[in-house]
Amino acid sequence: MNSTAGVLLQVPLFKLYRKFGWPKLLPLNLTLSPSPKCNSRCLTCNIWMKRENELTIDEWDKVLSSLGTAPYWFTISGGEPLMYPHVVELAQLAYKHCRPGIINIPTNAILPIIPDRVERIARSCPDSQVIINLSLDGIGEKHDHIRGIKGNFEKFEERLSQLLALRSRLSNLVIGIHSVVSVFSVGHLDEIINYVDRSGADQFITEIAEPRIELDTVGLPITPSAHDYAKAIDRLISYVQGKQYRGTARITEAMRVEYYKLVKRILDEQDQVIDCYAGWVSAQIYADGTVWPCCVRADDLGNLREYNYDFKKIWFGDKIKEVRRSVAAKECHCPLANASYTNMLHDIPTLTRIAGTLMLPGKRSPHSAGAITTEAPMARPKQHIGG
Amino acid sequence: MAFDWLNKFQQQLEKDPHYAERTLAAYKLGMKAKGSIAGVIVQPGADCCSAARDLPMGKVYHPDEAPRLPLANCPLASRCSCVYRPAMSYDLSPK
Repeated sequence: MNSTAGVLLQVPLFKLYRKFGWPKLLPLNLTLSPSPKCNSRCLTCNIWMKRENELTIDEWDKVLSSLGTAPYWFTISGGEPLMYPHVVELAQLAYKHCRPGIINIPTNAILPIIPDRVERIARSCPDSQVIINLSLDGIGEKHDHIRGIKGNFEKFEERLSQLLALRSRLSNLVIGIHSVVSVFSVGHLDEIINYVDRSGADQFITEIAEPRIELDTVGLPITPSAHDYAKAIDRLISYVQGKQYRGTARITEAMRVEYYKLVKRILDEQDQVIDCYAGWVSAQIYADGTVWPCCVRADDLGNLREYNYDFKKIWFGDKIKEVRRSVAAKECHCPLANASYTNMLHDIPTLTRIAGTLMLPGKRSPHSAGAITTEAPMARPKQHIGG
Repeated sequence: MAFDWLNKFQQQLEKDPHYAERTLAAYKLGMKAKGSIAGVIVQPGADCCSAARDLPMGKVYHPDEAPRLPLANCPLASRCSCVYRPAMSYDLSPK
């Protein structure tokens, strides 16, 4: 089974790989998008309109077997991944072939079938941490408006309650809440923080709405201004820093604060700020079998159907070299959370700051703030950093 | 606009032979399924042909009526830098 220590030991190797092209390594962080279909109608996403000639589950089997035990962190994305009819089998295949440390699945929390599918995944992948992040972009009607579905917030609450009950029975299950900070939600992030604080969820992660080729949102005015984002996220940083965390949670929260600060700098400076490892450490496999370095650029590195489902043939082939050159030359920059967290793991100044934070004595929980009733409901020791 | 590099990056990508059909079919489905998409806009590339320059700027088309990209006789063919953009209702509302 993949371990966190094993991941950290590979950091210097990936730094060498990015700089010199050697040693050749498969990605640690892999996103699988089995289908773009989704039953949400979000203002910040257009992927749900797409239809693809999707890989069958037998084809996924071949793809995943070609990866061996390299990936540590899988994200099963969409569309709405828990609506994909073979999502349980897909997770089981990833577990069988790759033995990942983490299987992370975002969800819009709409379908009643979700808790059953999550339970089947968590039970059949007992040595992986299964992280389910429920999307929350506002409270009540604000959520419904942004997600384009009347009654979505009510379903979110129902699903959250069901999944928290499930979590109490399954030790490898982590339930988180994920918010997209967009022009539509940046003004009410405080309300979301207050809600999440009382929710009982293990973790709260936010990601800025950004244009992505995958989502067909290039050119759309969904990203908040650097000023508005900074104002909102500073309050979230203060909130996180004002709480007391123990064990692994201290590390994960320190990583999150670093990520939020990184996003502010990326928006301000319009630059990568730290080296991006998309195309070396992280990658995505789209529904039709196309391999991308990331979902923002969505460069077509090759289709697995044309390479006998062997990921290595694409990853170590010629086409990816130009994309790696472009990423290394900083011809792109973005705050994509999934890639950013692995990028931060490979950035020595970031790791130094996190180590410094961890050496400081833990702060006391500001009970006077009102909303906090337990030590840190969002910081159970088993939580993970990822988005 | 934040991340303007991505706009230019996408315009430089080689187009799939089915780019127009696939993109317009997606937008048509989006309208039928009551998303916030209101139509499609053609965004001409910086080095576009004269036919693309002559298209009405910012016009919102129904996907069935939008010009097919690359435009006929575009000298750049699959390297045509014009792209479709979804016209979102929230972006079209009077500001």
